[in-house]
Amino acid sequence: MSAVALAAVLAGAVALFVTRSRARVALVRAARPTPRTDDVAARAGRELTQVLGQRKLFQKAVPGLMHAFIFWGFLVLFPTIVEAMLAIVDPDWTLPYLGHAPWFLFVVDLFATLVIVGVAIAFAIRKVQRPARFEGSHMGEADRILLTILAIVVTLLLWNASRIALGLSDGDAQPVAGALSGLFTATSGTAERILVWSHLLIVLAFLTYLPRSKHLHIITAAPNVFFAKNGPSGRLEPQRIDLEGPDEDLRFGVATAADLSKKQLLDLFSCTECGRCQDVCPAWATGKPLSPKLLIMDLRDHVAGATGATGEIELQAPLVPDAVTDEVVWDCVTCGACVRECPVDIEHVDTIVDLRRNLVMAESRFPSEAGAMLRGVEGPNQNPWGQPASERTGWVGDIPVRVLQPGEDAPEYLFWVGCAGAFDDRAKKTTQSVARLLNAAGVDWAILGARESCTGDPARRMGHEYLFQMLAEQNVATLTEAGVRKVVATCAHCFNTLANEYPDYGARLEVVHHTELLSHLLAEQRLLTTGGAAGTVTYHDACYLGRHNGRFDAPRDVLAGTGLTSTEMERARERSFCCGAGGARMWMEEGGEARINDTRFAEAEATGADTVAVACPYCFVMLDDAAKAKGSDVRVADVATLLAEATLD
Amino acid sequence: MTTWVIAEVGPEGPAESALELLTKARDLGGDVAAVALGPGATGAAEALGAHGAATVYASDDAIFEEHPGSAAAHVLAELVGAHAPDLLLFAGTYASRDVAGRLQARTGTTLMANATDLPAADRATTEIFGGTAIVEVALEGPAPRLVLVRPKSFAASPSGGTATIVPVTADVPEDRRGARVVERHAEAASGPKLEDAKVVVAGGRGLGGPDPFSILDDLAAAVGGAVGASRAAVDAGWVPYAYQIGQTGKTVKPDVYIAVGISGALQHVTGMKGAKRIVAINRDGDAPIMQLADLGVVGDLFTIVPALTEEVRRRAGS
Amino acid sequence: MNVLVCTKFVPNPSGTPTLGPDHLLVRDGGDGALDPGDEYGLELALQLTEAGGGQVTAVSMGPEDAAAGVQRALAMGAAEGILVTDDALRGADALVTARVLAAVAGSRPFDLIVAGAESTDGYTGTVPVTVAELLGIPSVTAVRKLEPVADGYRIERQTEDGYDVLACPAPALVTVTAGATEPRYPSLKGIMAAKSKPMERLALADLGVEAAVTQRVTAVTEAPAKAGGEIVQGDDAVARIADLLTDAGVI
Repeated sequence: MSAVALAAVLAGAVALFVTRSRARVALVRAARPTPRTDDVAARAGRELTQVLGQRKLFQKAVPGLMHAFIFWGFLVLFPTIVEAMLAIVDPDWTLPYLGHAPWFLFVVDLFATLVIVGVAIAFAIRKVQRPARFEGSHMGEADRILLTILAIVVTLLLWNASRIALGLSDGDAQPVAGALSGLFTATSGTAERILVWSHLLIVLAFLTYLPRSKHLHIITAAPNVFFAKNGPSGRLEPQRIDLEGPDEDLRFGVATAADLSKKQLLDLFSCTECGRCQDVCPAWATGKPLSPKLLIMDLRDHVAGATGATGEIELQAPLVPDAVTDEVVWDCVTCGACVRECPVDIEHVDTIVDLRRNLVMAESRFPSEAGAMLRGVEGPNQNPWGQPASERTGWVGDIPVRVLQPGEDAPEYLFWVGCAGAFDDRAKKTTQSVARLLNAAGVDWAILGARESCTGDPARRMGHEYLFQMLAEQNVATLTEAGVRKVVATCAHCFNTLANEYPDYGARLEVVHHTELLSHLLAEQRLLTTGGAAGTVTYHDACYLGRHNGRFDAPRDVLAGTGLTSTEMERARERSFCCGAGGARMWMEEGGEARINDTRFAEAEATGADTVAVACPYCFVMLDDAAKAKGSDVRVADVATLLAEATLD
Repeated sequence: MTTWVIAEVGPEGPAESALELLTKARDLGGDVAAVALGPGATGAAEALGAHGAATVYASDDAIFEEHPGSAAAHVLAELVGAHAPDLLLFAGTYASRDVAGRLQARTGTTLMANATDLPAADRATTEIFGGTAIVEVALEGPAPRLVLVRPKSFAASPSGGTATIVPVTADVPEDRRGARVVERHAEAASGPKLEDAKVVVAGGRGLGGPDPFSILDDLAAAVGGAVGASRAAVDAGWVPYAYQIGQTGKTVKPDVYIAVGISGALQHVTGMKGAKRIVAINRDGDAPIMQLADLGVVGDLFTIVPALTEEVRRRAGS
Repeated sequence: MNVLVCTKFVPNPSGTPTLGPDHLLVRDGGDGALDPGDEYGLELALQLTEAGGGQVTAVSMGPEDAAAGVQRALAMGAAEGILVTDDALRGADALVTARVLAAVAGSRPFDLIVAGAESTDGYTGTVPVTVAELLGIPSVTAVRKLEPVADGYRIERQTEDGYDVLACPAPALVTVTAGATEPRYPSLKGIMAAKSKPMERLALADLGVEAAVTQRVTAVTEAPAKAGGEIVQGDDAVARIADLLTDAGVI
């Protein structure tokens, strides 16, 4: 009888689960594939560290512990679900070997208790601490899920307690259930039946609830982590555009739900609304409408809605502005803080850039002030400011500089000056400092002069993939033809593009950032510092050097060589806060309650340092502007300039 | 040889450009006449005569104001047909361009714009490449040669002569009148649009707040210019975004750009580097804007700008 | 409404221009662009046809490279392009240019011709009105706003101290001031669509226009270094600025 009931309930639950999952499964199956099968070892490694080890969750200690208790608890408790089903058929049945092993009974008892502790911590966080990262999350749903989890483990513990009372299980191995067994007597058979059924029914109800809930992450998180991008997060997935090819192959980013890739959909179904991304987002922190969490939630709700009865039609509805507003899409600085923070490796930045690709390439819809940048980059002079290409060497002055001419032998290092480094008065100082230092160290180097053009980074982050592709192909051809093997760049954005994105266009280059080369030259004693600089300095990590590319130590090593006393900002290294210029935001006007550069500069100022060291011209301009706007005496200078002052003067 | 100066006139008399051109016409030799079309023409004849016009073809008809360009071009074409002058000198203004351009279609003769000098009656020079090179051009083909001369290319000096006024009938057929002015709006309060202004006075971070923009307003009003701002001033909330000049704001190409308290960040420079002349007023002599300026003034903007406004008013008034 | 937009392909607007041995501006070299000053008028024309129907045709005269300028106009939304290119047109003056444009316009129906106020490379600024005169149609220069009305157009013309409103019969020619509109940035879809739009190439013989040279450069000399680039301070600074304003003709 019980067996029939169990089979019926089980069949019903599974059927409901499958039915409810069908729409989302179909959506993902029909979606564009994401080519993410390279380096399986790295992917498997992430499953170990990030899923089983909960690495990214532990970036926040207490919430991390909370989640780990519940997650590990459920891993351990999986066999108990089978155990419950067996016991439903016959109370004497249990798992072979495990069912009576005292160590297993102990482990179950312990982890069930830890889950309760985890739930308690979760409620304490949500109801008492109430962190801002939950703003906009579905709090009620989270409460229901937590209570269900609690119910699952409480019924488990009580069922185990009743079994101990009935003499079916070993109480000595289960301290908690053993203590609870006092609630029952040897005649509590009915209670035991009710508890085991309750436990299983709650588990099955939870299963049927999953497909349409944010808790679906227990199924999607592991694959989502597996299919996450390998390598530096600064590399955007290229989208080849062949205007000569067949029209049906042409795609301009993501316009509708139907354009989202498998990974992008999986991202949406993996979000638990934990808000860690929102917590670190520079746009959200400065009162702008963009929150990476809300972006993902809004896209998910749109996609989920589209899979209803009229799914076909709604799939064609534009994601912008139906799901997210234009402003949200343009607020992103692509700093990658959200991606780095996300425990389940949601790739917010790639999706935002994909949305921008559609807006720019298909619809020509973007903040109009950024048009000048695109015109400048695509125009005859190929730089965001539209400055004459012939003036790329305007910074040289009396510094001995070799301009590499076609046909000449390539130098050991090609110095990629970058547009800011060539045209912006502040960045030019960095360029000059690096040039002097390379000369002082006797490095064999040269520049391309007027043959250099924008790498295409601002166009690409803006969504103009085609313009980027043209520039990438052109620059790769120039570099290849010139026989260049090693490149040094002062701009973190140029560095990232040359190092991580140009390989997709055939470049075989060894790219170093100027801080790396300078730190190397210092270590080799090819540069000798006086070490006599006085004062305190705080280093601001550029997103595209630090977080996106893991270069944290080289700039700090160079600063150590100057003699300046270093002090760190609260948000440093991987958790550095953007200057506000990335993602082509340099070329757009900023809205919101506060400006990102002012916010970051205030953090730097709060360290008490008298100099803010930067390692990227964008950061330089943004933070220096903030310093001037505030009338602050704090100096903003590139690491290279600080080194040059301690080396040559 | 006969040279005609196409004089721009108004109720207050002839435009300075007409007197400059007459002075040049005298130097070229031969007969000199002026053509003055529009209200104030007859009244201007005396001054035109005093600067060398022996004859002034004049009409005070309001039709020339009502139908700018086309009416004057038609009457002028008839006059040219009747008197066959060799050379016509126009002021290089938007109004005279419209007349000269239409006239050229009728005469089918050569036209030279932006001339800075006429070494001879059949030769003109002009500056190219932002004034870095001077080109001399031989004007060939049949007469009359039409030359538009940049204002202030010559200094006007009187000859002490008097002109014979030859009244001209403003007989313009209906189908040659073209567009008609139906309303005139002076925007004295707000001045010209930033993009169109001949003079732009722009303020930056050096102003220190919203209030000092009033001294820029005064200067702009005195020179008939418009007020702009750098991004720093806009970001600080001192003036609205509509004032912003630069990469993410407006691009301006005025005759004179006066940068007040602006350091000259690239973001700003990209929006104003096309200005013909750049004046920078800044406390810091090392500011990047000083490298760009034709005239850089190091000093306190709060004393210099009001003093400049006074001086402009004094010169304009005299 | 059919609008013809005159466009010019100019050498790199922010590059360093060069003269050839014949004293003519070097117009090829691959780094030219559609004159930025033309985009305002193009935008105005596109908005007019988008609102009231009809189409925009971009007309240009120049070397073969100038096809890129017409392509840009097509990418922005013009429906067809016409490029007049002929070796005999090298060094053509304002009148020949105007005759060519008038001949093109005269060969097809139009309601409006739009041009920029002046080109970025030549600054002559008379060609559009010469075209209007050749066609015998009214013209309004320095237009900042234009709306079609029952008997033609209601036009706002920028003046020194404000603006005039003009009543203008159709068909007409207008030149548009910089900043009158905000030119669109062509989408990639627009660029692709432009490739399949018709572009007609015409030679002088097709138009019955003869090229005549009435101007010849006889000498190019370097200008004396500008008195600018000077940094002053002190009491006469104000007078120096006022002198500069006087020189510039603004006082």
